[in-house]
Amino acid sequence: MCSECGTPIAAELDYFAALGIPRRLTLDPRQLENLYHDLGRRLHPDRFAGSAAAIRNASLSATALLTRAFRTLRDPVSRGLYWLELQGEKLASDNQKVPPELAEMIFDVQETLAELRSAHGGDAAAVRDQIAASKAQVQASIGESLADLERNFARWDASVNHDADLIVQLKAILSRIAYLRTLSRDIERALEQPD
Amino acid sequence: MAYSSKVLDHYNNPRNVGSFPKDAEDVGTGVVGAPECGDVMKLQLKITPEGVIEDARFKTFGCGSAIASSSYVTELVKGKRIEEAMTIKNSAIVQELNLPPVKIHCSVLAEDAIKAAITDWKSKHEKDEKSAAAPGKAAQG
Repeated sequence: MCSECGTPIAAELDYFAALGIPRRLTLDPRQLENLYHDLGRRLHPDRFAGSAAAIRNASLSATALLTRAFRTLRDPVSRGLYWLELQGEKLASDNQKVPPELAEMIFDVQETLAELRSAHGGDAAAVRDQIAASKAQVQASIGESLADLERNFARWDASVNHDADLIVQLKAILSRIAYLRTLSRDIERALEQPD
Repeated sequence: MAYSSKVLDHYNNPRNVGSFPKDAEDVGTGVVGAPECGDVMKLQLKITPEGVIEDARFKTFGCGSAIASSSYVTELVKGKRIEEAMTIKNSAIVQELNLPPVKIHCSVLAEDAIKAAITDWKSKHEKDEKSAAAPGKAAQG
């Protein structure tokens, strides 16, 4: 959008630029939402219904970009992943070793889920209880990792020389969340199955 | 997405599913994962003192291609020397299983699992060599 007259301009912007905010990892969700609504109103295609075709199209694509930007940046995990991409980093590069304690937990829970699929009657009920306990444990672990992620975001934003170690840690935390979310999804699916 | 018939075959009849005791001297364990999708793969190799892979087991929790890739490598590595197994490239797995581009990371995972398992076995044996060498030295000295 033109800062002088408010006319939408077609441009390739990254999501931070689309919202007019610095490329920082720490974001205030309320501020982000306000910006999104404010910009959304000002760029809304209805306001340019009588304008030239180029401006109408620019308004449409700017609104679409704004929505994608907001959806990606409001969630800390997708924001972190997107930010890594902007840094030219990939989550999976040099990052395929699963920490042993996490792997152990994943294999334990997955094996219990497999047990549930073959258990019947009273056995199934006992296995379900065990899985419910694992579910709580996995949820708590996801919560801890999200808090860890926010701390790491703040650390990166505050660092002047942008230590590469922080990126390694960031990738490790994001990976951990990805493994835990997959596990959590598998638990949900297993519990939905009737006995 | 349509899976190739080879993927389906390995998925429906996975070879060598299971595990070996991970603390056993002759067992190397590799646990790797794909952080983008949360898949995890455990590959275990039973290796002779001469460095020949006698047997293999896997456990994979993930998509059909990840299961097929690990099942296929358990067959592929059996009878090979570790040096030879270390040279197995994911492209060989892609070719054999006819994996589509979006599933190439599953084959990378299987390649990395072989390397991780062999590295684990080697680290157990380096320790042996050291502990075997130490008393020898003491006896000499």
